[in-house]
Parts: sequence; C-alpha cells; structure tokens
Amino acid sequence: MSRPFPYTYISCPCADTPVPNPARKRRSRESPQKSTPERDTEGNEDQNGTKQSDVKEKEEEEKEEEGEGEGEEQTFDPRSPRSNFSLYPPEQLLYCEDCHQIKCPRCITEEVVSWYCPNCLFETPSSMVRSDGNRCGRNCFNCPVCTAPLAVSSIENVTGNGSGQGPWVLSCGYCLWTTLDIGIKFDKPTNIRSQLQKMTDSTTGPAFDARSRQGSRAFGDLKSPLANFASIDEQSNTREPDAEQSTSQEDATPTPHLGVEARFAALKSFYRTQLSETSNSPSDPLSSEFGFSSPGALNRLMSLYASSSRLSGLYGGAKKPKSKPPVMREALTASEGLRIVPESADTALIERIASPDCGWDGVASISQRTEQSPDVRFVDELLPLPVLLRTKRAKRCKSCKHILVKPETKPQSTRFRIRLIALSYIPLPTLRPLAQPPASLIPGSAPNLDLNALAPLRPYHVLLTLKNHMFDIVRITLATPSVTPGSVASKVTVLCPQFEIGANSDVWDEALQNATAPLSDRITGMRGGEKVPEAGKVWEKGRNWTTVVLEVVPGTLPGSEAEGGQATGSDIAAVSQKDEDVLEIPVFVHMEWDAEAQLEQQNVGKASKPDDLVARELAYWMVLGVGRIQASL
Amino acid sequence: MPATSNLRATQTARPSSPHTPQQQLRSGNTSFASTTSPGSSLRNEDDAIIIEIGARWLRAGFEGSGTPVCVMGFGPEESRRVGDYRGWIQSAAGIGPLPKPVDAEDWVRDYELWQPDLRKVDLGLMEDKIERVLRETYNQYLLTDAGSSRLVLALPSLMPHPLLSSLLSTLFSRWRFPSITLLPSATMSAIAAGLRSALVVDLGWAETTVTGLYEYREITTKRSTRAMKSLQQMMGRLLSSPASGEDQDATREDGISVGFTYCEEVLTRFAWCKPQAEDGEQADQPAHTVSIPSPTCPEQEFYDVPFSRLADPVETVLFASGIAESELDDEEKSIPLLVHSALQALPPDARGTCMSRIVFVGGGARILGLRERILKEVSSLIQRHGWSSVRGRVVERQRQRLEELRISSPASGQKLPTSNNAESSAEGEKLDPSQEVPEIDFVEQKLRRQNKDTPVPVQGVLRQVESLGAWAGASLVTSLKMRGMVEIEREKFLQNGLAGATRDSEPSIPDRRSGLRAGERSSWTLASWA
Repeated sequence: MSRPFPYTYISCPCADTPVPNPARKRRSRESPQKSTPERDTEGNEDQNGTKQSDVKEKEEEEKEEEGEGEGEEQTFDPRSPRSNFSLYPPEQLLYCEDCHQIKCPRCITEEVVSWYCPNCLFETPSSMVRSDGNRCGRNCFNCPVCTAPLAVSSIENVTGNGSGQGPWVLSCGYCLWTTLDIGIKFDKPTNIRSQLQKMTDSTTGPAFDARSRQGSRAFGDLKSPLANFASIDEQSNTREPDAEQSTSQEDATPTPHLGVEARFAALKSFYRTQLSETSNSPSDPLSSEFGFSSPGALNRLMSLYASSSRLSGLYGGAKKPKSKPPVMREALTASEGLRIVPESADTALIERIASPDCGWDGVASISQRTEQSPDVRFVDELLPLPVLLRTKRAKRCKSCKHILVKPETKPQSTRFRIRLIALSYIPLPTLRPLAQPPASLIPGSAPNLDLNALAPLRPYHVLLTLKNHMFDIVRITLATPSVTPGSVASKVTVLCPQFEIGANSDVWDEALQNATAPLSDRITGMRGGEKVPEAGKVWEKGRNWTTVVLEVVPGTLPGSEAEGGQATGSDIAAVSQKDEDVLEIPVFVHMEWDAEAQLEQQNVGKASKPDDLVARELAYWMVLGVGRIQASL
Repeated sequence: MPATSNLRATQTARPSSPHTPQQQLRSGNTSFASTTSPGSSLRNEDDAIIIEIGARWLRAGFEGSGTPVCVMGFGPEESRRVGDYRGWIQSAAGIGPLPKPVDAEDWVRDYELWQPDLRKVDLGLMEDKIERVLRETYNQYLLTDAGSSRLVLALPSLMPHPLLSSLLSTLFSRWRFPSITLLPSATMSAIAAGLRSALVVDLGWAETTVTGLYEYREITTKRSTRAMKSLQQMMGRLLSSPASGEDQDATREDGISVGFTYCEEVLTRFAWCKPQAEDGEQADQPAHTVSIPSPTCPEQEFYDVPFSRLADPVETVLFASGIAESELDDEEKSIPLLVHSALQALPPDARGTCMSRIVFVGGGARILGLRERILKEVSSLIQRHGWSSVRGRVVERQRQRLEELRISSPASGQKLPTSNNAESSAEGEKLDPSQEVPEIDFVEQKLRRQNKDTPVPVQGVLRQVESLGAWAGASLVTSLKMRGMVEIEREKFLQNGLAGATRDSEPSIPDRRSGLRAGERSSWTLASWA
C-alpha cells in the first residue's frame, strides 16, 4: 500500500531498457579475464539477451506487437523491488512529443533555472549559491533538533517580558529550542547568517585573521627565488591561501581544537606550500618518479601542478641543483592540520553520556547529525541550520534533448512556460470498486466494501475508467496476467479488454451528442444497480472516457486459515508489513490513435485531409492497487 | 611495451629542450581538465563533485570544501515508490518492533546498497538505487546540473568488478559526466590526516579493513568480517532479548525483533567500549544505568539498561571476547589482532612509520573508547608476541624445553641467574629491533646532522592520528589539482567498459608528468582497482 486504495501507478517504459553496460557485453563475449562469479556471467548473458531484444524492438518499432509479445513473456511484477523505481503516479510523468514516449524522472535531464529560498522566497543569484553553501544567506534557519523553521525574536519575547529591543535569538515554535540553549545571541535581527558564521568560526581563534597577513608573508619568503619570478601562476598561488586565511606555516602555536573546516583549510594550505616547495627543481633527475627520492604517487601527481615543464624548459637544461630536492613531508603541527588523538580522550565523553543529565535526548540522533559537522555528538553542539535552497529546473528529454518542462524563473510564480505532462497524452486511469456486488453472484455480501479488507476467494468487480485528454479517438487494448504475480495469487479478468475512448472534444459536443443519442443508453447508465457486468461489453462510456469492469478473485494469503494453515497474528503482521497482502494488478495498456501529422506546418495552405493522419501507438504497464486482502475468510 | 618506453624516452628528452611553447600554451588553457593553477574565473563552475560511496551511505559535495554537502542513506525509505508517503504518515519504518523475529541477514538487507557477496546482490536494483540517490542528491543538495562537471569517486580500493562496472555504467549512461576519477579511500583518509604513510583502520559496514600505506602506496590490506554490520546485528539481538526475558544466550541464535533504525539509533548514541579489562574496574560499572526507549514501544516508553551492557556487543563482536585466538578463522580476526597482523606484514621500516600513524575511519571509529582500546590491545599484543608470527602452545613448550636444555647443560649452581638471562635474551631475540635502543651509527649521525632542520619523524611508538575522512581527503586532492591515477573517460568507457582498461597498472605516469590533458591520454588504467 502506498496510497489510499484504490490507486493507479504507471510504469515508465524506460524500466525495460537496462543500463547499457559495455563491460557486460564485452566480458561475456570474451573469455572472462577476471574470475567473475558464475552467476554473474549468466546474468550477463541474460542481460545481453534482453539487450539484443531491445535492439530488435527498436528496429521494428512499427511492429509493436512483437515487443508486446516479448513483454508478455516477462510480466511486469509490481512486487519486485526494482519496480518501486519505475512506478510513478500518472500525474508525475511527462511526455516527449518527439520521441512519442512517456518520460519519468529517470529519462530526463534537468537544468537549474533559478535558485531560491523556500522560506523567504528570495531568489539567489547563481554566483552566490555556492559561496552560501547552497543555503539561504539571510535569516532563514531550521531548527537543528526538529527541523521546523526558526523565528528571529528578541530575548524578551522568549523569556516573556515585552519590549521589542535587545539581543535577538532564533527560536523554534515547535520544540521551543532557542539559540540560547547553545549560548548564542545576536546583536541585530538581520543578517543572522553572517553573525552566526562569525561566532562559530571563533573556535578557530580570533587571531586567525590577524595572523593571516603575516602568514602570507612567511609563505612568500619560503618560496625560492626561482619560483618567485617563475610565473604568474605561482603568484596567484600565493594569493590563494592568503585569501583563505590560512594559518602561517611557522606559527606553531597549538590551536587546541580546530573545527573540521578549519583543519581542512590548514591541511589545504599545508599541502599547497609543500607542493610549491617541492616542485621547485623539477628538472632534477632525482625528483622524477623513477628516482628514489620521491616515490609517492602524490608527489608525482603534483609535479604537474606547478607548471614544471615550463620551468624546466627555461632552466632545466642549464642548471642542475646541487642539493637534494626537498621531499614533500607530512604535516607535523596542529597548524598544519595534524591532530593527534590524546590518550583517554573518550573517557570524559563516555562519562558524560552515562551521566543522568545527558541521557537519551542529550545525544544527537542520526538524523540530527547528518546535517551537522561530523564531530557533533551532543544535542547542545547542534547549530541552527540555514534553510537549503531549492531550485526551479527545466527538464529535457534525455534522448532527444527537447524541453519538456520549463518553469518561469521567478520563485513566486508557479506557472510554466512549457510543460508536457503525460496525462495530456495518455488516458488517466482511475479505479473504483463496483459499489454493490450484484446479489446474483454473491448472496449476502456486505453492502459497503472495505478495500482494506478484501475477503479472499470472493469475486469482486472493480471499475477501471480511462479518461482521454487527447483530441483524437484512442483505441485501447488491455491485457493482464490471469493470475497476479507474487506469493498471493489472485485471479484477474478484464471483462472487456478492447474498447475505444472518445476524443476530448468540446464539452458542448457531448451535450449535443447526448441530445441525439438514444436515451436508453443513458438510462441504463443511470440504473447502475441493475446492470450486470458482461464479458465483452463496456460498462459505461462518456464523451472522453470509458469504463470497463475487472473481475478480481483475491487469493489466499500464505499460511492463512483459508489455506488450511494456522495463521498466527505475527505471521499476518509480517506479511502485511512486507505488503504481500496488497492486491495489485499489473495491466498492460496498448493504445492506438490517429494523430495529425507533425508536418502540418508545411501544409498550412492546404486543408488538412484525413490522409494526413498518422497512426501512433504507445504501450506501457500500469499497476492498479485494488486493496488489501484479509487474512481470514 | 615499446610504446611506453617510447613515451618515457620523449619524456626525459623534453625537459632538456630549450623551449616548449606548445606546453606553455597547454598549461595556459583554462579548460577544466587542464592542470593550471587555480585562479581562472571559470573555476567555480567547474568544481568537481566528490562522492564517496559505501554500502550504507553516500557522501557528496564539492571539491575544496571540508565537509560533504549531504550524507544520504540507502534505507527502505529511500527505495519507496514515488508518491508513497508512508514514511511520513506512520513513524518511520524500522523504529517499532517487528511483528516477527527475522533472520539477522534479512534484517539488514534492505538497508545496504551492496554486499560483499555478489551472489545475493541484484545489480539492477543497485543501479536503480544509485541512480535515484544521486539524482536526489543533485536536485536537493548539490543544486547544480548533474553531469556537467567532473565526478570524483572515493571508493575502497578493493571493489568487485561487477559492482564497479555497473556503478560506472549507471553514472555514465544516465548523466553526461565527461570523466570519472576514482580515488582509493584509504589513501584519501591518510591525506586528510596530513600523512604520507599510515595504517588506516576502516571500521566499515561489512568488513573492517586495515590498510598499511607507505608513501601513499597501499602495501598490505587485512580484512575481517568483524565490523559494523555484525555489531548492529549483535546489538539487535541484545535489544530483542529483554522483550523475551533476560536470558540473553537463549535468544542469541534467534532472529531479531527490534526495528533496524531503532537499533542503529541506540548503537550510535550509546554504544561504547570498555577500557582494557582491569580487574578492579568491573565492580563500579554496573552502577550506571541509562534509559533508552523501550524496544517494544520506542515512541512512548523508556526503560533502563545497565550502561555496561551496551558495551557488550562491541566486546563480543569487535574484540571477540570469550573466543580463543586459535578458534578464530582468518576472516574473522578480532580488530586488535587484525591491526597487529597488518603491522606484522609490513616491512620493518614501514611498520615503524605506520604504527605511529594509525588512522581510524569509518562508522565504528565514532564508538567511544573503541580506538583507544584497540591501541591498548595492540600494544599488549606487541609486548606479548613482538613481531614474530610464530606463537601457540607448541612453540611455547618448545621454547621452554630449549630453555631447560640450556639451563641443564651448564649444570652449575648459578641456576637462577642463568635462567633469567636466558629468558631475557630469548625475549630480546623476539623483540623487534625497533624496540631496542638503536645503535648509534655514524652514517646515521651524519645524515641527522645534515638534515638538522628537517624534523625526525615519529617512529616506532603506537600513536593515533585523526583524519577528516576519505571524503575530505578526496576533496583536498582534487582541489589541489592533482590528478588521480584512474581517470575514466566517458567515450572510452562507453566503448569497452572496464575491459578497456589497460592491464599495466601504471602506464600513464609519463603522460601525466608531461601535462597532457585527459583527452590526449591514449589509454586508461584501473590501477589498484584492476
């Protein structure tokens, strides 16, 4: 059960085409060079087989029957774990007019049109998105404990004695968490993000900024004169760590506990200096990767980095450095990003966790931690989370690159410039149970039907309505396996597998049609109660919709009473947790219609003749969720 | 191999040539694959995406940042149908008790992306999961167009080829990544610790790997199945047992009846590890009790557990307490043994360097007290066995017999002192040279004097260095514009798949040095993944 019963899902046809795996193709052809597991090669051949059949399918695109024949060999199984990834509610699918195919999120590519904060609806310019870390740069924050949005309020408001001034805090309206809990107050009610940033960065020491200048000078000194006038690239190199406020290399004052980001920055600047130091004499034969002085792969890689070839071109042949070239070393001090774990560092933490004032709620949960810095362990270390930005995305067909969806860029606008949703091309399936199972069939059946408790082995009738949104008449063929796949075998019969759905013409047409149509048809439609579902007959038909009847006999649950086994409550519960008792019917839909030719622009002058019609067809699987089968009779 | 030697020849010739205008042009190029130093205005757009994929989690983010933008899981909630909002309506699956005890393997199956045993892995399903999780990562967290920039994957260096192949083909066929770089996660963890050599202990999901790295090269890898998965299963059994009475051992072999998420929550919050057993300590531990949500009704009720009990799974699973060392199979060594044997497998020089650079990564590294305990146990193992792999009762007997022989042969009255001597000398033989006071070597001294300014690296003592993790290492490496050994290009992969990689593990090094761009590389390699 994924939605309230009854529901319908459509399987995107892309599920049938496996990911083209060049390795599989090749490996199964050649003798396997690696000792791949037996089963795997079998699988490869299997895959290969289906792939070939796919190719065939593409070649004979016109003859869809063949593809259908093959499709029938492997009935779509809504219970297989993979089908979860290809089933979509009909309204979420798109349709490509050029490929004439349904498109699910898997077979489209997306392009970001604009970024905006879902909280304040401000659009973020693309240049700012990354520097803000994909999060809102203003005052929008989420509660780190319960993820509800936080409000900026003055301390007086929170503590309850009026006046609208003074220090400000972020407070959660849901779980009553405030930034006071972690000891953070803000001076201004605006620009909270930057204020918070300053406060949280202070763990790395306020001396950081002051040091950076001196650090960069030291950095410059370290560089050999050769490197100094070597290239502009190098110069920009030196500027880079400067901008990032790196710690100076000499400054060995142990910064007690660098945050993750600070340590990362320290490591980065450390590696930068090392790289520039060690790549000074690239022409030295010892420094090549074949020498013994620098066996490291990293060293080898980085020699590219500092434009070694250029330097060597200028100086390499003439000058041979006498001294052994410096080898990149490892980080040695905390300011270089090294952190040696002190002994018995965890004892205090263990005691804290075990202490009664911490308890279960004092430790951050997994979901709370995923958004935070990886060091966080306790709830009082959680920081308010700036709201993640959202994007408006244009969608293109993956195979033909045509635009399927193009939203307007403004965050406030919900309109789309282009939106080709599948429902305007494929019939919308809706399902409902036939209100009263005819008394003639089942005497004494309950009048109101509970879809969450279908009695096994009792025939039910469900009405499947297909509503056409195209301006052409569509011929539909439905096919279902006679017994549903899975452990619970329910019998399904489509009473009328072939029918037509009228065009989505003007609403007035219907009124006019109905006026002319024989009244008796409509009357039988009204008197649904007396109507008996008949094989080969459409149940009901309207302007652009048709209803047919499906007869379903739910199977018995494994181990249930009906099967003679003793069902324990836990067994049944286990079954229902795995959704095995859900009655889902895979239905193969094949639709044909005569569309107007795409070339109509070319023959605008001419009056469109019926000859211009092109026969089109589309086939896909859909899944009808009827209900849940009861354990007992 | 003529081609390679040819390349090498040109390589050595090139630096000596007077001018190389062509290369200047190249390095001046601001194409993203070029290796010019950062600073071009387009840099931001081309920032590579770094993704670390494990069996349970996926971390993704941009190069040059210290922490990933997001961490995504592969649970059943993530593999629901679109439009299935049950996870929001009910309390998330896996919290409440299960109606029926399930097998421990089935219990974890839904939550892992792959298993080491590929016979049970549906590769198609894995592809589906990866596709969806990556699509959501891009759409919700990375907020860039998928496939426009380079992708860097930090992967364990031992990865089954079918897995790697289907992972890469999913990525390449779904999005238009120009190239995918693979970086070994162990090395990346060492880099993120600022080290060149390290012993990386990855307490991962399916297995614990101990990798000896020397100068960024993986030398040895030892693995054990004692890892987070079995820990989780053990914790599940432990939490299932109070529901069915207190007898823990009876239910041990039965299934697990608590929710996976609930169990994981308990594990990450409260699992801890006792310090190495000392007799006096045990008494005061049970005094503590903590209250955790009751497994039968985690939403409302709490119940008290002795805090020490929550340390038991760690004890039994990771340290194999109560099982004799000789009983353990090769693939299920306890973690201290594993670390010790990995160190033992290293050459002495590398061993000395690595043992003072032990890096713990992986989910298990977060368990409080665990790392310290492992180090303590390793050091006691070293004290007991030294670096000799010969041990056991028979050896001990042999030694004693030899000793007796030695003692009896002099047959004089000074029995006691000799035996002492013999013992100490026997001890000394076994001990590693690194533990002795090094002889003062004049060459060594001279070298020392020469490199006075370069600090002497710490060596030979057990020391633990903290790493920022493989993801951060990969981000660091990529942001420094270093190229990985394994850079797989789209076109080449789509032609031949993994089979297109050259067998030779390092043919492309000369290429890289000369600054050729990716497009010009003639062949690609899988390096350590081959």
